[in-house]
Amino acid sequence: MAAPKAGSAARAQWMARAGGLGRLVLGLAIAALVWEGSVLLFGIRPHYLPKLSTILQAIATTPKPYVDGFLRTLAETLIGFVAGGAFGIAMGIVFFRVRALREMVFPIFIVSQTIPVIAFGALVVLWFGNTLLAKAVIAFYLTFFPVAVNTLLGLESVDRQQVALMRSFGASRWQLLARLQFPTALPHIFVALRLASSLSLVGAIVGEWFGDTTGLGVLLLQAMYNENVVSIWATLLVSALLGTGFYAVVAAAERRLVFWGAEQ
Amino acid sequence: MTPGTSSSLAVQRGLLGGLILILAWEGLARGLALPSYVLPAVSEIIWSIWTSRSLLAEAATYTLAEAVIGYVLGCLIGIGLAVFITMIPVTRMVLLPLATAVNSVPVVAYSPLILLWFGMGIASKIVMVAMAVSFTVFLSTLAGLDRVDRRSVDLMRSFGAGRVGILWRLRLPTALPLMLSGMRVATVRSVIVAIVTEMLGAYGGIGWVIFQAVLKIDFVQVWSAIFVASAASLLFFGLVGLAERKILFWK
Amino acid sequence: MLNRRQAIASVAAAAAGSLTGSMPASAQTLTKATLRLKWLPQAQFAGFYLAVAKGYYRAEGLDLTINPGGPNLLAENLVATGADTFGLSGGTDSVFAARDKALPIVCIGVSHQVTPFVFVARKDGPVKTIQDFKGRTVTTWFTGANHVLNGMLVKEGVKPEEVKIQPQQVSVTPFVDGSVDVVTATYYNELYTIMARMPKDNLRTFVAEDYGITFPRDTLITSETFAKEKPELVKGFLRASIKGWKEAFADPKAGVDSVMAVAATLDRAHQDFMLTEVKRLMTAGKAAENGLFWIDPVSIKTAHDFFLANKVISRPLDLAAAYVGDFLSGLPLADRRL
Repeated sequence: MAAPKAGSAARAQWMARAGGLGRLVLGLAIAALVWEGSVLLFGIRPHYLPKLSTILQAIATTPKPYVDGFLRTLAETLIGFVAGGAFGIAMGIVFFRVRALREMVFPIFIVSQTIPVIAFGALVVLWFGNTLLAKAVIAFYLTFFPVAVNTLLGLESVDRQQVALMRSFGASRWQLLARLQFPTALPHIFVALRLASSLSLVGAIVGEWFGDTTGLGVLLLQAMYNENVVSIWATLLVSALLGTGFYAVVAAAERRLVFWGAEQ
Repeated sequence: MTPGTSSSLAVQRGLLGGLILILAWEGLARGLALPSYVLPAVSEIIWSIWTSRSLLAEAATYTLAEAVIGYVLGCLIGIGLAVFITMIPVTRMVLLPLATAVNSVPVVAYSPLILLWFGMGIASKIVMVAMAVSFTVFLSTLAGLDRVDRRSVDLMRSFGAGRVGILWRLRLPTALPLMLSGMRVATVRSVIVAIVTEMLGAYGGIGWVIFQAVLKIDFVQVWSAIFVASAASLLFFGLVGLAERKILFWK
Repeated sequence: MLNRRQAIASVAAAAAGSLTGSMPASAQTLTKATLRLKWLPQAQFAGFYLAVAKGYYRAEGLDLTINPGGPNLLAENLVATGADTFGLSGGTDSVFAARDKALPIVCIGVSHQVTPFVFVARKDGPVKTIQDFKGRTVTTWFTGANHVLNGMLVKEGVKPEEVKIQPQQVSVTPFVDGSVDVVTATYYNELYTIMARMPKDNLRTFVAEDYGITFPRDTLITSETFAKEKPELVKGFLRASIKGWKEAFADPKAGVDSVMAVAATLDRAHQDFMLTEVKRLMTAGKAAENGLFWIDPVSIKTAHDFFLANKVISRPLDLAAAYVGDFLSGLPLADRRL
């Protein structure tokens, strides 16, 4: 009895997802048409907004720098994201547990986030060299803080009565964390992780501004200073593809893991 | 233990942490006799802030003005968009991926286009800040609005509450903590984005001071500007945090 | 289509050349070194890229990596700290500023012998002479060009306060649109962009040299320590660089190819133009008789006095310590000359 029911539920879910994908494709197609059409219709000068077809053609003519840039930036983003996410969650838990440490270190964390990394390009090169690591470090730097904040916030949002209840059943601190506090915090953490997925990409791209040869950040900088508007847009599109794809993966993980957290 | 003593203890610990950091920094810079292009001593930076205080104060005011205006705009757009999507769920499938795509490109990457469209003045910075802030606020507000328990929604519906009623009575109050925490995080981003955009082209502000100082190889000046920017962000952050606590207290 | 195939073929040939060229050198121990550029890869640096591709640095015992620059990266700073071995830095202005701040770097060669930028106005516009700058909007870079502008204004009896001088943004669009009266442009970059967007014969240029100001830029630097400890490698670096540049001038296609190999999104036509302009700047003045990267004491002194008078540097500098021509003059003149 259970099996066909699960099957039809899965089918319904699949249908919903396919429908969603269809609408997404439709939405993109409409956006593309509006773009192409309005440039032609209103005669927008290519220095402000080139035609979408021109941009896609530019990518098709020299795909290598865009593909290489995509892969390189993806690697930096992933490393920074994973490291920053893990460190952020760990720090959130530590801060939740050890109040003294939280009060000592948290303000410094906040201050660290007010520093624009771009002002210290030379220091970054000096400390980490011209390596992939240097970019990952910047991605990490931008990522860990929101994750730590939301982890802490999530852990603190746990209902006191529930804690008292579990304690009365003899739950240990770790059990409390694993069974109650962390699951409650997870929706909060995922909000931060989704944000962090974008921030780690920002970190990777800005990191590439400190004298590198491959990466989407390099392409952007090159295009920006050569006033190559077509190339700016081409790189923006590739970055958007990378960012959206990564975001979608994180969001999919969220749906799978925190099915209890959201309304739908 | 009264709450008063616990919060003063927190302040003490915070100060202690800061003090340890500053002493370690000063010790490192002085002890290893690091040249200022590697790491200037804190005392040197603070002295330089004092000597160029009028320049820095003017720059900070300029940058803060851009950041605050952009921030307010960004919050309004972010909250508005999240509410819009919740009220008209059909738009979610189109708007959410679109907003994500727009945001997945680092805001700084838009700067050449924004500078081209809005010029080198204050307008381009406000637009950049608003873009950066709106997405952070949008995401956290949306997450907050979604957090509502379906049973509560059904219950309110059964009492004849409409969409607006549910939004106002149930969704917004539930969303408030997440929305406000998003708004708090966004304060810091707003100042950074303003600075980064200024570094690419501006008539004034902290970013402009940094840009100039790097070219003049005046690294103490770079650090001074960063310190001031950091203090300004913290002030902004603190004020929004204070407002947040006030609002949540009432709740 | 044919062009691209030719390009690929020549890059392949260059790669093959680098392989065979490096054969004898690979037996020796190579010293790892880096060259930090002042900006992103473009034909402005073609000679260095070509020299790497052809294995000229390897032949001198250097395993050289070229690191591009970027916003807020200063070659002087990175060379002084040892993060990079050599630098192609901003110019005499940044070398002076670095020495003024006691950064331990020395200049071992000067690439652009004359001021590489001009001030551009439209011919049908109101600006005909420097006098007409009064009350007009002029945009310039506050990275040294502003001092040249001030110098030109003062020379013509115009007070800089009377001109609306504004920092120049990344784009020349405000000038093309007419919201800016005078714009600053390098011969090889902005001037090309401007000419691509408005008729060439509608442009009026103001050249610094016409007003007695010379501002040599694109300086080769290394740290004082490296210069003292490895003088042979410094000479080797210069020899290989000059060889690369001479070859890039002789075969511009190969020069641009070597740059396009690392930055494929660049506009080929622009890069071809850039290499031609850069050749003119690098071979101007005394470089014609004394060879590439020549450090001309007279123009250095003039620039120094100019910066001192304009308070860009706080004190007179020991020019002999800052600009060391010995490495260059250690190479045979015939090798240095084009």
